[in-house]
Amino acid sequence: MLETKDLTKKYGEFTALNSLNLSIRAGDIFCLLGANGAGKSTTINLFLNFIEPTTGKAFVNGLDVEKNPKKTKQYLSYIPENLQLYQDMTGLENLRFFCGLQGGNQSREELEALLIKSGLQKDFISKRVNAYSKGMRQKVGVALARAKSAKILLLDEPTSGLDPKASNEFSELLLEMKEQGVAILMATHDLFRAKDTGTHIGIMKQGVLVDNMTSSQVTFQDLEQKYLEHMHN
Amino acid sequence: MKHQIFFIARKELRSILRQNSLKVLFTFVIVLLGFALYAGHISYKQQKSMIETAQKERRVEWLGQGNKHPHIAAHYGTYIFKPKTLLSLFDFGLDTYTGTSIYLEAHFPHDFMFRPVQGYGNIVRFGELSAALVLQLLLPLLIIFITFQTFTKEKEKGTLKLLASQGVSMKIVYLGKVLAYTLVVFTITIPFFIGLYLIGVNNNNDLVLTDLGLRTFLLFLVYSVYLWVFTSFSVWVSLQSSSARSSLLTLLIFWIVTGIIIPKTSANLGETIYPIPSMKMFKEDIQNDIANGMNANDTKDKRIERLKQRYLKEYRVDSIHQLPINFSGIQMQEGEEYSNKVHDFHNAKLYKKFKLQNRAGSFMSFIAPYIAVRNLSMAFSATDWYSFNDFQEKTSDYRRHLIRTMNNDMAMNSKYGEFYEYKAGRNLWETIADFKYTIPKATMNLKYYWIELVSLSIWVLIMFILIPSSFKNKLD
Repeated sequence: MLETKDLTKKYGEFTALNSLNLSIRAGDIFCLLGANGAGKSTTINLFLNFIEPTTGKAFVNGLDVEKNPKKTKQYLSYIPENLQLYQDMTGLENLRFFCGLQGGNQSREELEALLIKSGLQKDFISKRVNAYSKGMRQKVGVALARAKSAKILLLDEPTSGLDPKASNEFSELLLEMKEQGVAILMATHDLFRAKDTGTHIGIMKQGVLVDNMTSSQVTFQDLEQKYLEHMHN
Repeated sequence: MKHQIFFIARKELRSILRQNSLKVLFTFVIVLLGFALYAGHISYKQQKSMIETAQKERRVEWLGQGNKHPHIAAHYGTYIFKPKTLLSLFDFGLDTYTGTSIYLEAHFPHDFMFRPVQGYGNIVRFGELSAALVLQLLLPLLIIFITFQTFTKEKEKGTLKLLASQGVSMKIVYLGKVLAYTLVVFTITIPFFIGLYLIGVNNNNDLVLTDLGLRTFLLFLVYSVYLWVFTSFSVWVSLQSSSARSSLLTLLIFWIVTGIIIPKTSANLGETIYPIPSMKMFKEDIQNDIANGMNANDTKDKRIERLKQRYLKEYRVDSIHQLPINFSGIQMQEGEEYSNKVHDFHNAKLYKKFKLQNRAGSFMSFIAPYIAVRNLSMAFSATDWYSFNDFQEKTSDYRRHLIRTMNNDMAMNSKYGEFYEYKAGRNLWETIADFKYTIPKATMNLKYYWIELVSLSIWVLIMFILIPSSFKNKLD
């Protein structure tokens, strides 16, 4: 579903991403760990075609992102660290707007059901987003991914700043989507969440994927130790 | 793509409607325009009634002046009042400066009198508050206030990134936003121009303006294009700006430079490049040419002598006393004709300079679209220089006809040396028909404004083709 081939991004002399080779299949949750500036967000931005790669290729559902920017976005849904919706619109209106942009014509009941399924409390559905917490906004993001029937979910530190309950709820939503065959790439600093939710874990350092492991093969302690080793080296 | 543009436009409209500050601003502009329309209507009715009454009184005075010598009647003269149209109250144009009435008399082509600007203070330098001024300068200011953060806010909040992640290109977002704000502007301008037309149609029964519908439509078209250009430009600036502050600053600078500084500078520039003589010099030159001849060696006396010899020869007599016609009448008309020739010559020179000055100003519309819409608005409201010039020419023709009729009557019906003995009466006064004026069709005026039309077209082209195609969809 998601693949990179020697994907590199340079800003002048600075290499933000260095020859990344990655493959994420349907039903995988690939968690990218790494310090700030390690290249996690750059990878996501390259899949979104927000930035141009210096060399290499990124593929979404087998399609070259650069050559098919519109088509590849049909398969994707993106939830950034701090998902910002239109503040003067309700959660339902935001969802209807973004679905409408994709050509969706779901009824009000269907959209409400999606929001509720994604964990948004019913009495918040028709409230303006400026009254929402970050967790609530993320849930609207998940509802959007569901409404769009996205095959791939790109998450850029989605649980950062969420309280443990909200973070846990979000993880459960991801696991639910994973079961539905959605391929998920999540950039995060949260080792616990990565181990708990991810099927695969990658550690990035200075633009290089320095470790790539299957989650079930490592314990949380092993993961923490590996992560710290990479960070200190 | 189309449905995405409409979705974005609908979302923008909803956001605008939910902002109380914008609602207040809109209400303010709508009330201002409504007031301008209402005040214009009231003022139009009052002025039209006053002008018609005054014109009728002058006609009655002319016809009822009693029996007198035609030359005394030519000096008694009459007044002509510039007819008002509703459009002239939509856009005052040069009416404030050109005067409202003219006194017609033998020998002296008088200037127009009662210029409204004479009664104003310095504030008129900033332009009187007319509906046209609201549309030309205040509505663009409102557009700036509603659009300056349309993109910067989305960039700052991160919603633009979310839109981009949905596969929506910046071009689509831009077009959607422009569509929304254009619709907002149209909700102001369409009812306004419909109102203007309806009031005009219900009051325009004197055939001064025979193409009100076409003129109102052209005004609507020109303002729509101008406001669309301004809206597109404002949205584009917001897209290009890194912050709301810099966007607002850029747009306000653009508004001040193109709406105030360049128009004032271009007027000064035109005057500097093509200077015109002072009024004193202009009149002295005319008087000098009349007295001494346009060739500087053809004095009035020489011209009279030549005329005398011509008539003596033509009638084969030795003395002007023997002529079957009154030579004084012939001489006076000849003096008028020569004076007209001199005036026409000097006016033509002056008008050529005015045209060059206007043209210099028109070229500035390529950098300031306000100049294009200001000039076209005056043209379609028949308050521009060319319209005034046409009215002036028609009054001049009427004056010449009046004087010629008086002089001819004197020549044909009185004897040389008689003055107070001969008296003409109402029969002669009635041969001078009342002055009727019809404003030339708007299409006749268009030829003078090709620069403004080309300039607006180029602005549209830039906004419509170049800007949307210059978008990058990359965020780095």
